[in-house]
Amino acid sequence: MATLAPAVEEKKGGERTALITGSEAIAVACQLADVDVITAYPIRPYDTVMQYIAKLVSNGEMDCEYIVAEGEHSQFEIVKHASAVGARVFCGSSGVGWMYAMEALTVTPALRIPMVCMVGNRALDDPGAFGTEHNDALAVRDLGWMLTWVDSGQEALDSTLIAYRVAEDRRIFLPCAISCDGAFLTHSQSLLQIPSQEQVNEFLPRYNRADLLLHPDNPITVAPQANEDWVMEIRRQNYAAMERTYGVIKEAFADFERIFGRSYGNPFFEEYMTDDADVVLMGMGTLSTPVKVAIRQMRKAGKKVGFVRLRWFRPFAAEELAQCLSRFQAVGVIDRDYSFGSPHSGGVVAGEVRNALYPGAGKKPPVLGFICGLGGREVTIPDVEKITESVYQAAEGKRQPLTQWIGLRE
Amino acid sequence: MSTIPINPVLPFLRTDRMPTIWCPGCGIGTTVNCFARALLDSGVDLKHLAIVSGIGCTGRVAGYVKLDSFHTTHGRAIPFATGLKLANPKLNVVVYSGDGDLSAIGGNHLIHAARRNIDIKVICVNNLIYAMTGGQTAPTTPGHVITSTHPYGTFDPNFNLPHLVEAAGAVYVARWTTFHVRQIARSMAEVFKKPGFCFIEILSPCPTLYQRRNKMGDGLDTMKFYKEHSKIKNGVSTSEVGLTRNGDIIVGKFVDRDRSDYLTMAHDQFVEALGDRYVDECAAECCEEGI
Ligand SMILES: Cc1ncc(C[n+]2csc(CCOP(=O)(O)OP(=O)(O)O)c2C)c(N)n1
Ligand code: SF4
Ligand SMILES: [Mg+2]
Repeated sequence: MATLAPAVEEKKGGERTALITGSEAIAVACQLADVDVITAYPIRPYDTVMQYIAKLVSNGEMDCEYIVAEGEHSQFEIVKHASAVGARVFCGSSGVGWMYAMEALTVTPALRIPMVCMVGNRALDDPGAFGTEHNDALAVRDLGWMLTWVDSGQEALDSTLIAYRVAEDRRIFLPCAISCDGAFLTHSQSLLQIPSQEQVNEFLPRYNRADLLLHPDNPITVAPQANEDWVMEIRRQNYAAMERTYGVIKEAFADFERIFGRSYGNPFFEEYMTDDADVVLMGMGTLSTPVKVAIRQMRKAGKKVGFVRLRWFRPFAAEELAQCLSRFQAVGVIDRDYSFGSPHSGGVVAGEVRNALYPGAGKKPPVLGFICGLGGREVTIPDVEKITESVYQAAEGKRQPLTQWIGLRE
Repeated sequence: MSTIPINPVLPFLRTDRMPTIWCPGCGIGTTVNCFARALLDSGVDLKHLAIVSGIGCTGRVAGYVKLDSFHTTHGRAIPFATGLKLANPKLNVVVYSGDGDLSAIGGNHLIHAARRNIDIKVICVNNLIYAMTGGQTAPTTPGHVITSTHPYGTFDPNFNLPHLVEAAGAVYVARWTTFHVRQIARSMAEVFKKPGFCFIEILSPCPTLYQRRNKMGDGLDTMKFYKEHSKIKNGVSTSEVGLTRNGDIIVGKFVDRDRSDYLTMAHDQFVEALGDRYVDECAAECCEEGI
């Protein structure tokens, strides 16, 4: 099979190693998942995925219907309906493109459509920056979307396969968006393991919409009008489906490890150098790269710092996270997003982490929030050191501001 | 003592924003030059002129002209311009944007503004693709063209924009290429004076993403292509001016007709329905105050 990659090494059983970007990794995952319908509308950085897919389709390496729609709204509507008639679908966007599709994004989980999307995280307009920020994907956090953030091309590829497996599970039928930081992940290359088709087939059953299939032999009405008579029950079904995702995600990760031989440990968050840590930093996506480097440096200077990278934001593994965080003296959450006017005017993740800690009986470390790296600004090692300094102060009981902006030009 | 003559269009440009983002051979700058000439030639009142752009390589025009300008979100230039015009009917409102912005994601606004005959002047720089995002197929891309989303050629039919806007109700429709600099400037000057929804399509090279992929040479080669393949047919039926990859390009002023614009229709209807009770507040107050 021809491949996109400049450097490809064939391994046993059809597995390959290839040097590809995060966006190509998602395209390859769609190819392996044998997606049926894909729609596109250009916007940086998501457009790189659609271009790789266009190439695969044009080269005859991928058999799917592929349409460049006339805007994101139509783009997401088309796949939504394709999914209702039983097609496996893929879609994606970035920043304002994702926001422009908001009406369709709202309806998708409500209709229990297992759409899988890639969000190439990008700052919202204005001022029209291309760089990464997480507010785009976070905008749907309350609507029934599963949301995951990845930090490497490998994880992007693997998470796409896992997303299909979970979303299309009859117990779930909810959409899932995989967030990839614009430029940092979408455009940088790394050496990846590309699984064989046989492995993927074993892991990922065909999408079966069963009794919800819109088909002449199964006359049903999708989205009939309901009012106060049934709306609460419908919402409750969505709630129940989201509650089930915890278990189904765990199952999927366990199966993933069995079939592909790659383990992610706890599916919901990654712990890095936390075993003996006094304090930990937290964040999502490619923040992990500068944070991990900084941690290694700080450890040389005797500072016992760890990192907890949140992988799944929805569902949010609150109990497990609270248990994990109770081991540390203080927590610093780095948000690549903002939530103006929220409690303590902090970032979204910091707020959620505090929320997760609140009800539990265990020890509650102080949680400091840091807004950093907005609009694609680099999160530097001195930034991380500065953050850690403040977190240590909090651990020693010294009052610190609950939200700090780091790396800001004064 | 010799003096260096100053380019007469310079006063209209924000030279502090130069160099522009536009690539060598790109046609967008040429259209801006024509626009500045049209401003000079028409003597249009600059105090009452506003430029509205969407997003794209063409959308950047709003930032390079030293005039009141708005860089709106992608596809929304026309509703923005509609709001400007309705709030301050004295303004001469020009929408300056790309083919993708105006006819794809903003396509609905285009036909409805034409239908209502909103008094705005739309300048559409048509490079036949979404250029800024990397040369993907747009609704204007002719068949058999290589784009980043159709590496082996496009196949879905393209819009014939003059036909579309005429059918929707535009009162003035012209098309030129960036080879036709004088005609572009003349058409622009004409629409500044013409009430109602006016549409000027300007075919413009994108050597970086369209011509290169389609082995059509550089900016200069495209000028030669425009020169050889353009046929001026003023008044021809717009149904006959559809574009193909290598075929002739019919240019000219296709439509120039009169019908009441939106505000006049609204005014007339209120007068008819309300008679003496109708007070045209806008004419009475807003315009005088220039809000
Ligand atoms: C809602 C939304 N979707 C997508 C984009 C990305 N985008 C920026 S410019 C552009 C296309 C511009 O094409 P066109 O209007 O033809 O202008 P050109 O660059 O060709 O001059 C797109 C899709 C965006 N900014 N906003
Ligand atoms: S990409 Fe094309 S349209 Fe954009 S500036 Fe370059 S030549 Fe012009
Ligand atoms: Mg264009």
